[in-house]
Amino acid sequence: MIRAHGVRFAFPGRTVLEDISIDIEESLTTVIVGRSGIGKSVFLKCIVGLLRPQAGSITIDGQEVVGATRQDTLSIRKRIGMLFQEGALFDSMSVYENVAFPLAYHRSASAHEIDKRVNAYLDLVGLREYARAMPQELSGGMKRKVAVARAMILEPHYLLYDEPTAGLDPSSSAVVESMIRRLQRERAITQLVVTHDIDLTRYIADRIALLEDGRISARAGREEAFAEPSAIYDHFIENRERIRAENGSQG
Amino acid sequence: MSHAQSESAREWRHAGASTASMYGNFFFWLFREPFPTRQLGQQIVRVMLEGFGILAVSGVVEGAMFAWLAGWYGMKFSVINWAGAATLYLLLSAATTLFGAMMFAAKIGTAFTVEIGSMQMSGQLDALRLMAVEPTQYIVIPRVLASILCFPILKAISDACAIGSSIVLARLWFDISAPIFLQHALLVLRSTILTTSYIRCSLHGFFISINACGLGFYFQGGAIELGKTTTKSIVINLICVLVIDTVYGVMDSVFGWSTV
Repeated sequence: MIRAHGVRFAFPGRTVLEDISIDIEESLTTVIVGRSGIGKSVFLKCIVGLLRPQAGSITIDGQEVVGATRQDTLSIRKRIGMLFQEGALFDSMSVYENVAFPLAYHRSASAHEIDKRVNAYLDLVGLREYARAMPQELSGGMKRKVAVARAMILEPHYLLYDEPTAGLDPSSSAVVESMIRRLQRERAITQLVVTHDIDLTRYIADRIALLEDGRISARAGREEAFAEPSAIYDHFIENRERIRAENGSQG
Repeated sequence: MSHAQSESAREWRHAGASTASMYGNFFFWLFREPFPTRQLGQQIVRVMLEGFGILAVSGVVEGAMFAWLAGWYGMKFSVINWAGAATLYLLLSAATTLFGAMMFAAKIGTAFTVEIGSMQMSGQLDALRLMAVEPTQYIVIPRVLASILCFPILKAISDACAIGSSIVLARLWFDISAPIFLQHALLVLRSTILTTSYIRCSLHGFFISINACGLGFYFQGGAIELGKTTTKSIVINLICVLVIDTVYGVMDSVFGWSTV
């Protein structure tokens, strides 16, 4: 289980996270929602040790992340796969090489085993025929799928997604949504998604948390979150409708 | 101080801190396993291919330029027989190293900054960290070592082009045959001139590549900032090249390495 307690993070002159406390339950998909720039990605980076909070505690399977030694951080990261915004594929490598990279670099499997696993994960995301393609030849949705295959190749226990549908057209978003849902259903991976995409949240979430003003201000299951009235429903629906109405009346 | 000035000062402080951090980072990771042998090989090929054209062309231009100057002054002061010796001395002891380093900073240094800066911007460096791969080891060390190894070889290519073009220009413009052009050259070219110039090349390769990689590695911001950082990369590296050559010049005058 991923457990965050009292996490506080500030950039020079700007506090981003005030006091984040949340438990990410095993084998479920938890979605943290909030408007852009609120600190969702920062929180993910704190979880994987890319940023160090100024206060609070984050544990993964009981192991403390904040202030962990380099060796401990590496061992924690081996249990986590992460999908970055835009995918963060390596431009100079083909799709196959991108997916094979974590195994090949650490020489943790034979060439035959690597080949088998890469093909299996490319099959899983439905991109085996694009194995020789370069990242720049792929659409946004395909890049995210390759990034998921790469994140999955080390068979992590946790999969974190940073805005997985940001910048995608509706059909590509739907492809990514289905894949996240399928991974959760078929492999029972514990997934944490941060997004401001209401449709994605409605489709994939088992648990939803609302990040507001540097705090988790509301938590709920999917049904509860989208039932009227609820803080999360208000946040998404009412804000959107109000802004649309205001813009419409001005127009 | 206006806002723009303080912003500019902040950016330059960040650039200075970035390059300084990279020196420490480089030596910290250099001797740790695993050594990036494959990436080093790839970067050696890449630096040679990307640097060959510009260093060869700059060698040709420098050779012609110095041969013309030496020939013109040789004619003026009636020491035309020494034009070849003067040309080769200037080229091999100073010009191809200095101008070559500037070209190297412009071509290879900026390429490193933009490439690594883009990787930082798109999250590729973080992705490496999450795969338990240290980006300094995987990205920076191969580029720096390749620069240290390749720049002297590129300088040798540049030297050959410069000598060739100077002989051709002397023949065509001043009607000086190659044997006469070269007759006094061996008298002035001491081995220390060559060895120190090639050692300087390795030093230039080291400083240029570390500065360039550091600026990309610690890059923050978007496309506009990446443009500014690339400009900083070449400015810092040109200053660095001039400082190294000035320090070398002072040491040379003390130890007399290039004394004819």
